[in-house]
Amino acid sequence: MTTLTRGPEAVRLPAPSPATRPRGRWVTIALFLLPALVLFVLLVVAPILVAFYASAFKWNGFGGLPTDFIGLDNFTRLFGTEIFGQDLWHLAVLVLLSVVIQLPFSLAIAMLLNQRIRGRALYRVVFFAPYVLSEVITGVLFSLILSPQSGMANQILSVFGLDSEWLANPDTVMPSLFLVMTWKYFGFHMMIYLAGRQNIPNELVEAAQIDGATSWKTFRHITLPLLGPTIRISVFLSVIYTIQLFDLVWILTQGGPSHSSETMAVTMMDWGFKRSQVGYASAISVVMFLLSLVFALVYQRFVMRRDLEGATTSMGERR
Amino acid sequence: MIHRRRRTPRSSTLPLHAIAWVVGAFVLIPVVYALIGGFKTTSELSGNPFGLPRTWETDNYTDVLGSGTFWLQLWNSTFIAVVTTVLTVGVSALAGFVFARFAFRGRELFFTMFTAGLMFPFAVAILPIFVLLRTFGLLDNPLGVILTQAAFGLPLTIIILRGFFRSIPGEVEEAAIIDGCGPFGFFWRILLPMARPAIATVSVLAIVGSWNNFMLPLVVFSEESSWTLPLGIQQFQGQYASDTARILAYLVLAMVPALGFYAIAERHLVGGLTAGATKG
Amino acid sequence: MKRSLVLFVAAVLLTGCGGGGGGASEEGGAPSKVTIEWWHLSTAEPLKTLWAERAKEFMAQNPNVTIKATVLENDAYKAKLTTITQSGKAPDIFATWGGGVLQQQIDAGLVKDISADVADVLPTFTPASLSAYQFDGKTYGLPTDIGLVGFWYNKKLFEKAGITEPPATWSAYLEDVKKLKAAGITPIALAGKEKWPGHYYWAYLALRIAGLEGLKQAATDHDFTKPDFLAASQQVKALADLQPFQKGFLGAAYSTPDGQAATVSNGKAAMELMGQWAPATQKDAGKGLGDDLGFFPFPAVEGGKGSASDAFGGGGGLAVGADAPPEALQFVKYMTAMENHSKAVVAGGVLPVLKGEETSVKDPNLKQVASLLAEASGYQLYLDQAYPPAVGAQVNDSVAELIAGTKTPEQVGQAITEVAKSEG
Repeated sequence: MTTLTRGPEAVRLPAPSPATRPRGRWVTIALFLLPALVLFVLLVVAPILVAFYASAFKWNGFGGLPTDFIGLDNFTRLFGTEIFGQDLWHLAVLVLLSVVIQLPFSLAIAMLLNQRIRGRALYRVVFFAPYVLSEVITGVLFSLILSPQSGMANQILSVFGLDSEWLANPDTVMPSLFLVMTWKYFGFHMMIYLAGRQNIPNELVEAAQIDGATSWKTFRHITLPLLGPTIRISVFLSVIYTIQLFDLVWILTQGGPSHSSETMAVTMMDWGFKRSQVGYASAISVVMFLLSLVFALVYQRFVMRRDLEGATTSMGERR
Repeated sequence: MIHRRRRTPRSSTLPLHAIAWVVGAFVLIPVVYALIGGFKTTSELSGNPFGLPRTWETDNYTDVLGSGTFWLQLWNSTFIAVVTTVLTVGVSALAGFVFARFAFRGRELFFTMFTAGLMFPFAVAILPIFVLLRTFGLLDNPLGVILTQAAFGLPLTIIILRGFFRSIPGEVEEAAIIDGCGPFGFFWRILLPMARPAIATVSVLAIVGSWNNFMLPLVVFSEESSWTLPLGIQQFQGQYASDTARILAYLVLAMVPALGFYAIAERHLVGGLTAGATKG
Repeated sequence: MKRSLVLFVAAVLLTGCGGGGGGASEEGGAPSKVTIEWWHLSTAEPLKTLWAERAKEFMAQNPNVTIKATVLENDAYKAKLTTITQSGKAPDIFATWGGGVLQQQIDAGLVKDISADVADVLPTFTPASLSAYQFDGKTYGLPTDIGLVGFWYNKKLFEKAGITEPPATWSAYLEDVKKLKAAGITPIALAGKEKWPGHYYWAYLALRIAGLEGLKQAATDHDFTKPDFLAASQQVKALADLQPFQKGFLGAAYSTPDGQAATVSNGKAAMELMGQWAPATQKDAGKGLGDDLGFFPFPAVEGGKGSASDAFGGGGGLAVGADAPPEALQFVKYMTAMENHSKAVVAGGVLPVLKGEETSVKDPNLKQVASLLAEASGYQLYLDQAYPPAVGAQVNDSVAELIAGTKTPEQVGQAITEVAKSEG
């Protein structure tokens, strides 16, 4: 690679190339960009627009296009239902649990595996493995394990004289769901933190330690601040993921018992595909879209701004 | 206090190992339970969940392997994953090339549009996608899933590839042009081969995304013959609801390709996911 | 060459119009190959095997026909069928419960009007079994099963609790539930994760209190807030307040190894409110109760407008997709012909739908169900099938919340009304 880049500098000629001739250039740009644009506009942009359109209609989804225009009625109906409030509440609970428990846990494990301990490569591989398994496999596996009557979890607990109804009780379903989510996703966040940690020069940490800082102080004042951008991204991903949470919930509880673990995506699928009120369900997906969008914009504007600025300047230097 | 022990790491790693073991058990027990449970009968499973099977029943595994549906679903999943990946990476590479190496009006606008797509997975658009695919006659057609997955995979793939293409020095391009390469020749013969590591990364991401996808195939495929593994597992759980051991066997067999792939492509997978995450 | 092609196309088009059960075999030469997609939800024995045998026999008699059966478990079946009908298609043959759900599929042009083709066999069916598949005098499906919902109970456990005979009134029923509880027995098994079994309680109480007419009126008025429905909800709540259900019932499915059917089947709960397939599913999912299994109809409610002999339930039928080949209809007729259908009746998988089939019922409990059905003064189809899908689903949903204690009786009526209005 280096020889390739060095060589031609000597023979730099102002030869007109196809890429620099204006017409040829535009043809090239158009041809190369077109497939991606077509695919993206047809299957990403258009569906979102259709969702906006359909959300203004009463429509059972059968055949043709919707005709029964009802304006914002679907939205007023949605905001009036208790389920929508519950969906938002579940979102808040899961985000909170993730930020307070799952992500710090992942960070702690990442710091642990950053130590020089034997077998850390193996630990890393094992901890990340659940992330590779599909949500369906995870969901089915845990629905068997957490079964209140004959599941493995209760058989373990019974040794200590305990038991739980896990997913079968409105009071325990959210913690149980969160437990499964942690099993599946902590390895992913751990990997992000590990990658972030590896970008921190070891000299900084070592210098602090030579100065007599304790491990905790080093972590608190050196590692943690430098991991800031990584942590902010992992929080961002976690929230965006939770807004759209569907697969795991659908397999584990279908949103039950009596809506106590329902998410917006589950409510939408329920109305769209089980109850044939596609217009109403579209209103739900529009709300999900707006929620994601607003969160992303606000978060990037106020929380990740510094990181993004850093990124652009470093890129500018490199160019 | 602890920092002093750093000098003598041997003595201080024991508690760390203990923690790692506990976490490892948390991760592994469910999987091991499934693996061993598949060798039991359902009646034994409820009485003896952890111990080794009294007799190693292989029926659960052999029944699944002999049934044909498992292999069909495996094939469907593989086919869809491979075609999705080729399509996503191919189309993204073309676009990423333009975004990386051409300056033109509207570039930032288009690029921002693609990056915005990162925020919206299928869930948001699943109903309209269903309606659109119905209009195009692509329901119950692997293409319906493939094209949609490819479209939603574009943002991340384009971002990663564009980043990589940009890091290739301009002198390489000039040299290629002098050698008589057109833009496509440069892209095809020089850029793509150089970008092999990045392409491996995005391919692995696309494969895993497609392999694990559930929501989209759920609404697109109604005929059993086109089901992918996730759909098959869900259906199998319903159909053999009273036969837990058999479901466990099916789960374990469905895990094998994913874990096998993970074993082979671990480096690319981890690198890709973390790169994807941090660049998103 | 060209002409033969035209002829071929014409032949295909003509048979596509479904001209009187002719079938491909009449058009000289080798009959063209057809594949029939058949969707049903009989995942439990004996029907699972019996249906497969019928398909095999039919294929043997008609070598040009391949029947591809897709067998899905109840919840998955409903979900998949909704998806495929929304995609603008229907399987060639599919199991249906009739009612408002089938009506919506008919309105979408997905179901074949088979009136003319089945005119010859219609008189062989009992009118009650056909009614769910007939709209405006047209027939859209043939029944394979008809029955009613009632209590399936464990005689031994009832005895143990000192209950000598099944309750005849709702207040006696609630007393018996208390007795069972006092004796340390779980009175009722319920699949709370699947919401349809819970809706039976509310539907039956509504039928007893508001009467058949009341239910019909509510459906046309889109109003479920009337006092009778409130009373039904309050009675469901009264039952739920006794905490009669098994541990973890809110997460329990119906046919899984720790689901509703298995809980009764393994003697861990004294009864379940379920349709005529309960004995078969119990045997499939658990040990089975054998002779200890008894049946009693849903008790009368004192002061209610409905008669105690009004029945609530349904069966199952087979509908034919709008674009299905004529062989599909032939197979449906084959399935429901006396000599074939009665095999399933003998095996205890379904109840009689044909006149004169009653003698084939062997199981004493099923005999009781069949005779109750024959003597029923009125008949109400499952509410989650009778009403449009959104309304039916809301009934299931709201009743589930009522049982879980997260909704009040008043809220139940309001929620169902709201959705009924949105459909209206």
